[in-house]
Amino acid sequence: MSSVPTAVQTDDPTVVPKPDDGGRGMLDSRVSVGLQRRVVLRGLIVAAVVLVAGLFVPDLITSSYYMGVAADGVVLGIMAIGIGFLANRSGLISLGHTAFYGGSAYGLAIATTHWGWSPTSAALFAIVGGTLLAVAIGALVIRSTGFGFLMLTLAFGQALYAVSTLTSVRSVTGAFDGISVTYPSDSTTFLGLSQADLGQPDTFWPLAWICLVVVAFALWLVGRSRFGVTLEAIRENEERARFSGYNTYLPRLGAFAISGACASIAGVLFALKASYVSPDVLGFQLAGDSLIATIVGGFTILIGPAIGAVLYIYAQGKFGDTGNLELYMGLALIVAVIFLPGGVTGWVVEQLRRLRTLTAGRKEARRS
Amino acid sequence: MNLAQVLNGLALGALLMILSSGLALIYGLRGVMNFSHGALYMLGAYFAYEATNQGLSFWLALIVAPLGLAIVGAALELGFFRRLQRRSHIEVGLVTFGIALVINRVIVLIWGDDTHPVSAPKAVDGTTNVFGTDYPTYRLLIIVVALAMAAALVLWLRNSRVGLHIRAASHDTETSGILGINVDRVSLVVVCLGGALAGLAGTLAAPYFAVSPGMGQSILITVLIVVVVGGIGSVGGAMAAALLLGLVQIMGNVWLPSAAVLVPYALLIVVLLWRPTGIAGKRV
Amino acid sequence: MSGSAVLEATGVTLRYGAVVAVDAVDIAVAPGVLHGVIGPNGAGKSSFMDALSGRRRLSAGKVLLGGEDITRKKVAWRRTHGMARSFQRTSVFNSMTVRTQLEMVARRNREEDLDSIIAAFALEAYLDQPCSAISYGLQRSVDIAMALIGKPHVVLLDEPGAGLSQEESVRMMDHIRALCTERDVAAVLVEHDVDGVFRVCDEITVLSLGKVLASGKPAEVRADPVVIEAYLGSQA
Repeated sequence: MSSVPTAVQTDDPTVVPKPDDGGRGMLDSRVSVGLQRRVVLRGLIVAAVVLVAGLFVPDLITSSYYMGVAADGVVLGIMAIGIGFLANRSGLISLGHTAFYGGSAYGLAIATTHWGWSPTSAALFAIVGGTLLAVAIGALVIRSTGFGFLMLTLAFGQALYAVSTLTSVRSVTGAFDGISVTYPSDSTTFLGLSQADLGQPDTFWPLAWICLVVVAFALWLVGRSRFGVTLEAIRENEERARFSGYNTYLPRLGAFAISGACASIAGVLFALKASYVSPDVLGFQLAGDSLIATIVGGFTILIGPAIGAVLYIYAQGKFGDTGNLELYMGLALIVAVIFLPGGVTGWVVEQLRRLRTLTAGRKEARRS
Repeated sequence: MNLAQVLNGLALGALLMILSSGLALIYGLRGVMNFSHGALYMLGAYFAYEATNQGLSFWLALIVAPLGLAIVGAALELGFFRRLQRRSHIEVGLVTFGIALVINRVIVLIWGDDTHPVSAPKAVDGTTNVFGTDYPTYRLLIIVVALAMAAALVLWLRNSRVGLHIRAASHDTETSGILGINVDRVSLVVVCLGGALAGLAGTLAAPYFAVSPGMGQSILITVLIVVVVGGIGSVGGAMAAALLLGLVQIMGNVWLPSAAVLVPYALLIVVLLWRPTGIAGKRV
Repeated sequence: MSGSAVLEATGVTLRYGAVVAVDAVDIAVAPGVLHGVIGPNGAGKSSFMDALSGRRRLSAGKVLLGGEDITRKKVAWRRTHGMARSFQRTSVFNSMTVRTQLEMVARRNREEDLDSIIAAFALEAYLDQPCSAISYGLQRSVDIAMALIGKPHVVLLDEPGAGLSQEESVRMMDHIRALCTERDVAAVLVEHDVDGVFRVCDEITVLSLGKVLASGKPAEVRADPVVIEAYLGSQA
């Protein structure tokens, strides 16, 4: 199929499986496929260190403006790494993840404001609902690839946008006015955070950061698991995967659902932080911008899209007022696709690798 | 539903027909969904606005704006499509997405954020009596121009030498190249033509809807749906789907006004469930 | 052929519009038998392969695997139930290492002894290279090795020699012959290389314009006057 990921998945170089020669033969079939305990453990340690280190970010960034940029970037980043996961693992470019992002944001807003649910159960409901929506839409669109897939996801996302703006559902969604998220009482908290805390970037930060690290680690695990290998096989050669005994529909649907779950989590975080949900969360603008952030950040590396999302939020603050954001987004997308196939992060990793082989070569030369 | 409403549906369908046939032609040849097509349409409308503002007659604008867009099309082909033809199609599609954003913003930087009315020429500004219904003459003009254009395009594709080359190259680019068809030249013709058609649609739309930033994006989604419903890459399918969508949309406005915005999406989903490759049945 | 055939197909027909690519072809292959299918270009060899393997839906006819009607079964089901195939245009997983893809297919098809397959195709030295980085001949070997994983009862090999040098092709055919006997697999081999087919196959079917021209032991087919006139005559 004609899809983007021409670059081979470049995972963290420290976790490339090395044949374990401790008594096992080189052909041992347990070596490279699936999750090895040692690799998982190492990943878990890295994730834990990153998680703890990240909690100190509010101490480093004293400006509340930049803290806000970081927090918003992380929230969008969770959706972006979901989009990137699908692009990298299944070769599918989606313009419809706003359906799950916006769907779950509305889910939270409606459940708290209209049904009087606590924010915690509303959040759970919204994430599960968004993921189920991804399963339902995925079941219809996952057979298509390339432009067909891109346009079907776009159509479903925009259909949902159109639904949210209907005057006939105004009492539920507020149509173009949106919904101001109201908790059942002032004393209700979300995991100990009051509505005011959630609105403050530095108190909201730990929640967003933990979600990002947990989601990224989970996606990393999935990517390295047998399921991830199956997905790669299907992406590389769908027909051969079928002729190797694999049902290719369900794994692709699974990847889509996982990716939709990421967008749902991001949508809930957005609604918690902003306490306001409008049709913009389902809009074409967000669909396009989150995809551009994913591509500019680079999805051949798991967290690349999250970095793209932070860059996007920063650019939004800087150029949003003058209206030139669109211009720069367009230029960034063109430059990234034409000249930086792995996005910004892919480019950086490539330079580091080049540097490493260069220095290794020099050492080699000095020795001899 | 009265005759005026049917004619409204036809007028909308006619505009979509012009736009989507250009999009389908480019897709057929280059395999790329051109996301900047909506922006080209908008640019056409602004060219028409500028031309009439400069004192040119609307009739002249109807020629000048498509010519201008043909030049923009040539720039797209030479600057992007040709250079990127070895890249995956979806990457090129993403580049056109970026181009659309740039064009959208450049338009605002030149002409501002406001909505500008464009008046229809005097000769067609009134109403015409169609089987007892008074109907705006200008909208009849849109329908007539679109149908004439569609007929001309189909005849040209069927009967001319260039048309034969376009059909051959769309069917199998590699073999056509071996058979001595200059695919690059054919592609230049097709992308220029696609641009010119978008410009024509934009010019025709200018007096109908007035020109404003955002007109490109809102129609882009509808046109994409038309092309998918018609069967990606099929010009005939796209034309049929455009008329169908125009009529169904107007029917929705009349019978289900509260949910009419959902009509294109509903049509898309129904068609794809019933026939995944679209009406004309080319592979997605 | 008797009832011992593990693959049995009757009246296999494939139509593309008005064109009949495969016209009521019968075939029956017993375990350990290597059955060659030859014919000039456009005889319908590849279409026949696609029909047997489930890549295309039959317009008419039946395919039985171990007596069970699998005509309507999907390819993934066929693979896990004992029917595998390789492809004329090499079909591997390019970005994955040789090891990863072989192990993946082995796990899916419950192969206990992957090492012997790796050894049979001498792939040991290339296990940790991505398939895109190894030579075409090795990619062919990976393709065919993947088809043999999981002890399938029936293996359909679509021009395994395509794109290989004469020498490589001869070695590949001998190899397939040996593996077929060793693993007791019923194999159908579509091949361009007529001499190779006559050298290694137990039975041969000659197709022409989608129809069976002759079928039987190599010696019988070689002696068949129709075959000589229509096909071999020009080559012998």
